[in-house]
Amino acid sequence: MAAAPARPFFLSTIGKKYLMALTGLVWAGFVLSHMAGNMLILVSANLYNAYGHAIVSNKPLLFVAETVLILSIVVHVTMAIMLTLENRQARPQKYAMTPNGAKGSSLASRTMAIQGSLILAFVILHITTFKYGTYYETTVDGVVMRDLHRLVIEVFHQPGYVAWYVLCLLLLGFHLSHGVGSIFQSLGLRGDNVAHKIKKVSLAYGFIVAAGFLSQPIYVFFFNS
Amino acid sequence: MASILDSKIPGGPIESKWQNHKFDMKLVNPANKRKHTVIVVGTGLAGASAAASLGELGYKVKSFCVHESPRRAHSVAAQGGINAAKNYKNDGDSVYRLFYDTVKGGDFRAREANVFRLAQVSTQIIDHCVAQGVPLAREYGGLLSNRSFGGAQVSRTFYARGQTGQQLLLGAYSAMMRQVDKKQVDLYARREMLDLVVVNGKARGIIVRNLLTGAIESHEADAVVLATGGYSNVFFLSTNAMACAVTAGWKAHKRGAFFANPCFTQIHPTCIPVSGELQSKLTLMSESLRNDGRVWVPKEKGDKRHPSQIPDDERDYYLERVYPSFGNLAPRDVASRQAKYAVDSGRGVGPTGVAVYLDFRDAIARLGKPAIAEKYGNLFEMYEKITGENPYEIPMRMYPAPHYTMGGLWVDYDLQSTIPGLFVAGEANFSDHGANRLGASALMQGLADGYFVIPNTISNYIASTKIEPVATTNDAFKAAEDAVKTQIVRMMMIKGNRTVDSFHKELGRIMWDECGMGRSDAGLKKALELIPKLKDEFWNNVKITGEANYVNPELEKAGRVADFIELGELMCRDALERKESCGGHFREEYQNDGEAKRDDENFCHVAAWEYNGDKKPQTRHKEELTFENVHLATRSYK
Amino acid sequence: MSGGSGKNLNLKLKVWRQKGPKDSGAFVEYDAPKVSEDSSFLEMLDQINDRLVLKNEEPISFDHDCREGICGSCGFMINGNAHGPMKNTTVCQLHMRNFKDGETILMEPWRATAFPVIKDLMVDRSAFDRIISAGGYISVDTGNAADANATPIPKPDADAAFSAATCIGCGACVASCKNASAMLFTSAKVSHLALLPQGKVERHERVDHMVAQMDAEGFGACTSTGTCSASCPKGISLANIAMMNRELLASAVMKREAAAGDGI
Repeated sequence: MAAAPARPFFLSTIGKKYLMALTGLVWAGFVLSHMAGNMLILVSANLYNAYGHAIVSNKPLLFVAETVLILSIVVHVTMAIMLTLENRQARPQKYAMTPNGAKGSSLASRTMAIQGSLILAFVILHITTFKYGTYYETTVDGVVMRDLHRLVIEVFHQPGYVAWYVLCLLLLGFHLSHGVGSIFQSLGLRGDNVAHKIKKVSLAYGFIVAAGFLSQPIYVFFFNS
Repeated sequence: MASILDSKIPGGPIESKWQNHKFDMKLVNPANKRKHTVIVVGTGLAGASAAASLGELGYKVKSFCVHESPRRAHSVAAQGGINAAKNYKNDGDSVYRLFYDTVKGGDFRAREANVFRLAQVSTQIIDHCVAQGVPLAREYGGLLSNRSFGGAQVSRTFYARGQTGQQLLLGAYSAMMRQVDKKQVDLYARREMLDLVVVNGKARGIIVRNLLTGAIESHEADAVVLATGGYSNVFFLSTNAMACAVTAGWKAHKRGAFFANPCFTQIHPTCIPVSGELQSKLTLMSESLRNDGRVWVPKEKGDKRHPSQIPDDERDYYLERVYPSFGNLAPRDVASRQAKYAVDSGRGVGPTGVAVYLDFRDAIARLGKPAIAEKYGNLFEMYEKITGENPYEIPMRMYPAPHYTMGGLWVDYDLQSTIPGLFVAGEANFSDHGANRLGASALMQGLADGYFVIPNTISNYIASTKIEPVATTNDAFKAAEDAVKTQIVRMMMIKGNRTVDSFHKELGRIMWDECGMGRSDAGLKKALELIPKLKDEFWNNVKITGEANYVNPELEKAGRVADFIELGELMCRDALERKESCGGHFREEYQNDGEAKRDDENFCHVAAWEYNGDKKPQTRHKEELTFENVHLATRSYK
Repeated sequence: MSGGSGKNLNLKLKVWRQKGPKDSGAFVEYDAPKVSEDSSFLEMLDQINDRLVLKNEEPISFDHDCREGICGSCGFMINGNAHGPMKNTTVCQLHMRNFKDGETILMEPWRATAFPVIKDLMVDRSAFDRIISAGGYISVDTGNAADANATPIPKPDADAAFSAATCIGCGACVASCKNASAMLFTSAKVSHLALLPQGKVERHERVDHMVAQMDAEGFGACTSTGTCSASCPKGISLANIAMMNRELLASAVMKREAAAGDGI
């Protein structure tokens, strides 16, 4: 039995998981900051628009951030597809019954690929809706800028859109609730002594991101008419 | 009459025999080693360590096991520990003391020179295993931890919680797999040896059945090592794994290897008692439990009260009472026999009345539950899984069960059998344990044989023997293959009415009743009438379904049971002939108040049986044992 | 002789029967009347098999040997769980008192590309042997060792190494993982040896080769669902996988440094 030759790190299953973890970390960080910034919608339209303007005005930063985010999601998705295909190949025949009870796994951990696919669709749609959506203008403190607030308010008054948004954000939270902990595991940082804490942090992270984001359409839909 | 058995014990003082012998051995040129093939059958501690070491030396090794992986060999199940005369505890241990304890523990029925060598290499074993990464238990200072085991008054047992055998085996297995990677060892898993091939008087190969395809395969070599374990499964219910069998050794016996002391079997005192007719095996609870557990039965016959209701003065801590100096740490044969007496006197406990208590109440009170859990946690859990009772609260119920066989193929000092080129290692040989094995000595012997003895003595054999080339097309191979095939066809064709297991159970019952913890002239004679009848019925009424040319566990079992039946007969004959009691062999006629009464005048010898064909009974040969370094004394643990 | 509770169960079994690796299999139903609560799961199967043989049928094949939970031979899925419902338990140690009277029990072999079915509930796990032979050892020939106490090993390290080393190689981790990943098995050996001073010398080569072999065998990747550890009869921790990931990264970094150093 000839031993298989060692492969370059990033071609091994573990290397791919490192890439998923690192790119996942980038996006986990991004969604948290994105959520936090957007909370300004609860404060005032002007503040919200000024915040958006500040971001798009800093071209170099925007370029770097967008590049990193796009690369990350491309790598994350590519690795996810490769690993998922490999994983399916590893068990072509399914069981009549799957692990359950004390030996079962969480729904979040089992369905990462499906969640991921939906979230990807959401991200594309979300960018189309807002970044490339209707361009309104407004003036804040004498500066002419895009009135993103108006677009958001419009969109968040469509019940179908809000429902889809709520669903996807719940999924995102769900994805993070397993994904954030998984980052620690994949990067080799999850020891027995911190395993329990990591699990809590992961759940909390997913909850906070989802709750924060959700507060926005719900607020707009019900209270901002 | 001069014995035809030449033990080839080297000359000189006992301390330097092994050293001198190694120097006198012929060596094989390193470049020539790869031209020599050695077959190793079995991948337990002895087999895996032998295959690894022979591979390291440069021999081409073919390793065979019945399991799907070599790591599953039954050495994996040894719990307690491994002895070594390290004297790390400064408690007066030494090579000489380990030697002395082992000879005495074996009731003076082992060969002094072998035992001394065993004690000498014991220290190297620990060094080697630690170097391999075997995670033996350690103290907070980072040094190795020791505990005491039955039959010794020093702490010389190294251990890895209750999984010492597993850890040592994985060490040997890993070492062997490293040689597989280097292509020094070829691994043949799921192969069962069904015959030995002898060409011009020398062992030159084996016939195996591929358990996946049913194919009968021939393999040739310059020497063959059998490391195929013991035969406790002759009793059907034992602590051995289901696949443990005598078949490889028995086939070698039929090809000319003498079988020594078959009646020397060890009945281990602390096993979970039988619970029902459908039980398939018995589970051992490590002897280490007796370090803290106290063995007792009620003083009154038929006392059915819950153990917690029985006050101390109505309990009989019989081991402490009878053996005040060793107490609960009395050797296995002694502790087992006392348990039998307690049960026979009507004082047995539990639903069946065939058990004694092993009680941790006092140890928990003294050391606290966490300390007990740290030491024995996994054993307690295992007990609870099997019995449904929590041993932290209710005393464990224990009863002796067949566990180890001291008898086996006769070997000389070089571990070579009466067939040149056939070497036997570990439990499969008649070994260094005499009539009783002390705790934590089996792992020591298996690894001593495999790592340190066999590699040297095989080299000597290969260097000093003219070994002609032989191919598996040789007539001897063809004949052996045909015989194996014929037997398989014959068994498949019987199509009788009884399952293989039903025969095995019946044999086991006979052996347990008549050749178990107590043996008598009348009982053995009765067994010798019953067994041939059973054999006859087996060959006319066994039922095997499925096909011979594919996976067929029933066929595998049938072959093993057929050999067990023949072995059982020989065991009874051996027990009948040995008109003395020694170690685990207790003849009811020869005793002093329940203690074994040895007869050194007439039985200070190894009985080695020569096979004479199907029609004639085996011939009993003697290898006289001489004790130059240990005084032959009545073995007392009082 | 009879002991224990003496209670009997009447059960229905649905067992995967498959003649050989190339045959297609199917579930077959059997009645299992009068099963003693005190018998083990495998003893219950022995009972069924005895009956099948007497009816001229082929018994159900399953691997088993020590029947005390340490050899790693036995193992199949029982009602969807590797080794059945009890934690830290192998099939052979699983007793029938954990089932209810009248229950239907579904039995399936381990399923994974790397573990082809041989027959019925038997699978070929030799991929594990190949992972070990790729590097799961410390390269020390017999006779080279220093005194066993020459290198003290801190007890926590020795204990952690032991915990990882208790893996019995049964394959429940692969079987229960939705990706049929062998990361728990492989990582247990990687961390056992990497935790000990003796094993640190070749830790990089070891993890490189073992992971490469693991991947080549066709096992899936880890998605940290944790079923492996939950199903492991020895409770091997997920932390071993984290450690293996770290080891592999360290090895990649070290190789880079070594390669850079070559020119100097």
